[in-house]
Amino acid sequence: MRKGAVLILLAVAVCMVFTPSAWGKNDAIKIGINAPITGDNPKVGEGSKYAAEMWLEDIKAAGGISVGGKKYDVEVIIEDNEYKAESAVRANTKMITEDEVMVIVGPQSSSQAIPAGDVANNYETPMISPWSTNPDTTNDRPFVFRGCFLDPFQGPVIANFVSDQFGFTKAAVLYDVAADYPKGLAEEFKKAWEKKNGKGSVVAYESFTTKDADFSSQLTNIKRSGAEFFFAPQYYSEVALIVQQAKELGWDKPIVGSDAWASADLLKLCGKGCVGLYFSTHYAAKGAKGATKAFIDRYNSKYGYVPDDVGALTWDSLRIVQAAIESLPKLTGKIKKDRKAVRDAMASIREFDGITGKMTFTENGDPIKCAVIVKITEEGEFEFHQSVCP
Amino acid sequence: MMRNMLNRFAEVPLAAWLIGALCAVYLEQWVGDPLTELLLLPKIPVLFGCLIVLKTPKLIPSTVVFLILIYAVPICVIAYAVRKPANMIAAKLFSGPIWISAILHLGLLYLILHIWSDISAYRELTLKFTLIAIIVTLSLNLINGYMGEFSCSHPGFMALGAYGASVFSLVLFADDKNFGEALLPGILGPFMFPLGLIFGGFISAIGALVVAIPSFRTRGDYLAIISLAFTFIVKSLIENLEFIGGPRGLGSQPDFSNLLVVFIWTVLCVWIINNYVQSVYGKATNAVRDDEIAADAMTVDTRKTKMVTFMFAAFWAGVAGGLFAHVLRFVNPSTFGIQKLAEVLAMVYFGGLNSVYGSIVGAVSLSLLGEALRPLELFKWIIIPLLLILVMIYRPTGLIAFKEFNIRNLIQPKHIPEDEV
Repeated sequence: MRKGAVLILLAVAVCMVFTPSAWGKNDAIKIGINAPITGDNPKVGEGSKYAAEMWLEDIKAAGGISVGGKKYDVEVIIEDNEYKAESAVRANTKMITEDEVMVIVGPQSSSQAIPAGDVANNYETPMISPWSTNPDTTNDRPFVFRGCFLDPFQGPVIANFVSDQFGFTKAAVLYDVAADYPKGLAEEFKKAWEKKNGKGSVVAYESFTTKDADFSSQLTNIKRSGAEFFFAPQYYSEVALIVQQAKELGWDKPIVGSDAWASADLLKLCGKGCVGLYFSTHYAAKGAKGATKAFIDRYNSKYGYVPDDVGALTWDSLRIVQAAIESLPKLTGKIKKDRKAVRDAMASIREFDGITGKMTFTENGDPIKCAVIVKITEEGEFEFHQSVCP
Repeated sequence: MMRNMLNRFAEVPLAAWLIGALCAVYLEQWVGDPLTELLLLPKIPVLFGCLIVLKTPKLIPSTVVFLILIYAVPICVIAYAVRKPANMIAAKLFSGPIWISAILHLGLLYLILHIWSDISAYRELTLKFTLIAIIVTLSLNLINGYMGEFSCSHPGFMALGAYGASVFSLVLFADDKNFGEALLPGILGPFMFPLGLIFGGFISAIGALVVAIPSFRTRGDYLAIISLAFTFIVKSLIENLEFIGGPRGLGSQPDFSNLLVVFIWTVLCVWIINNYVQSVYGKATNAVRDDEIAADAMTVDTRKTKMVTFMFAAFWAGVAGGLFAHVLRFVNPSTFGIQKLAEVLAMVYFGGLNSVYGSIVGAVSLSLLGEALRPLELFKWIIIPLLLILVMIYRPTGLIAFKEFNIRNLIQPKHIPEDEV
């Protein structure tokens, strides 16, 4: 027994000697990123991660974030939420209570952002979801913000654009009934279109289920219904299939899409079929100017592809967080107080000049910002067509 | 010397270990913070240091020292020191009704978990999900282990239970945009919550009946396919039901699932399922697994046995789903898909078939591993499956399979034979 005690004491002593004393409590500002690195949608996680890496590079180059004349080191903590709600909640809880992050950026998709936002709000930690378009994410949650416009805004934007551009009156919708984003947007679009063109102007309202690959029966119905165009608020991988199958069935009228179309992979999967189509999104990569162009070029040269809107929105969200922290007079070092201060600073940001447009937060934590309509060009780039502001 | 030490510890009863652990968690609460500062750790190692160690390997020595000083030494020393009085108390309790002793032990265990999880909310959340995983794993083990079928419908049952219990508490106790204002005062909520869970459990038991009736003649692959279909049916049913939120999910459940509630339900589940599998029904279930025709010849009503076991297991999966929904405070149909199924199946087969111990071990180890290996990101999904493969190679029925869970053996006083003292 005695020998054991001596041994343990010795072990403790040895460990103490060899434990470097360079780290201990550091007063670095910690930013948490809650993103789907693994799981069903890794491309989204990758975009968020790359944007965060680039942002951190900038901060490091500047020697940290300066608050009240003092430079603070910045640490970015990236947690994987596996594209699952429960995992997003765990990741948020871990970052808030263990890593003691000041702000959380993410999760990207609404199905994770809604429960994770609840956690962030309960622990009074500011959180900004760059990409979640569901109103529930920020609803009644003073500590939760978002970096993009909402479905109830995007639906009317598309409806107005189509009537103005083409003068159509009969619409069809093809959407995934099992995923919250397409379903919500389809409903908003239908509402807006019927308000504009009267009841019954949506002549076909066809749905399918996630991971379906054959849309011929729905497309046949749409074709027969006499619709002048159809709206497909789907993710890019499905868009490619839908467009190809529509062309095979002899559909030669326009197809209109939403922000989930905006991926560098769309043209790879879709080929010539997608050329000339329009969709609404957060920003247009081709024809971008100033900071937006600088961001796109830098991302492209670093990672080898043009950033998706997730990357751009994550970048903007991080910049908003940075601006909010920088606007504070000082950091108290007490994380709870600082979190509250950052939250108030974020809420009072006016006309933030992001690469996806100017943003001002409403009381709900939703930004007022413009949507962009883009056209897919021959070269497969997303060209700016027009900007629609609220 | 080693053997001598082990022999000495052989007479330490469970009660003494629990007291040791209690002291350790108290110690962590009192001196954990100063000690972490002394050892230059950033925070108290939350999941036994795994997160810290994997992120900054340089901190391995300090973490090990922390674990030794806070956990290993106090537990061993105190457990050893109090072994004699603990044995006496255990013996006294053991001569009385078993439930008094069991409840005291469980109370001690809860106290330990409560204090342990008090340190950080992340610990508490992990603990809650782990306890829920125990319920799910155990109930699936009932079908896949004890009954020898291969059922894939557990995510479906969980979804039914989760939605059932959520609707129950949202309609009655919460002002919600789907269901309008609360019908009952919110203060009743925590007391009525068990009813909500049972309601959810019954809904999934009825769902189980739907699978069981057309499939009671099928076995093996066919049942697997039918039950898998059931999972998909439930998922797309919920996706198309607008009044419970459809694919957007159902949120803002009241916060009824605190640690005590989850703990009590887990204990209830272990206790009831353990009794079930040791009862005549449980033995009949085993007989059906080993040879259905022989069981039939031995007057076992195979059809009824299968149905009852299936529904019973579904009930517990539903309860687990209800708890899960109230811990997460959000449910959406895509949570209950193939990924969930893979998770639960892995826990069952990792822990061991036909064994309550095995289910507990499987659920605890895989859910803790899943959290502890978080810093490894992508490699987590290489290490955990690799572990599963290794277990399947070296222990094809799981780590602790075919072992009976006997509460008497666990809590009895331990005396070493006279001649060795």
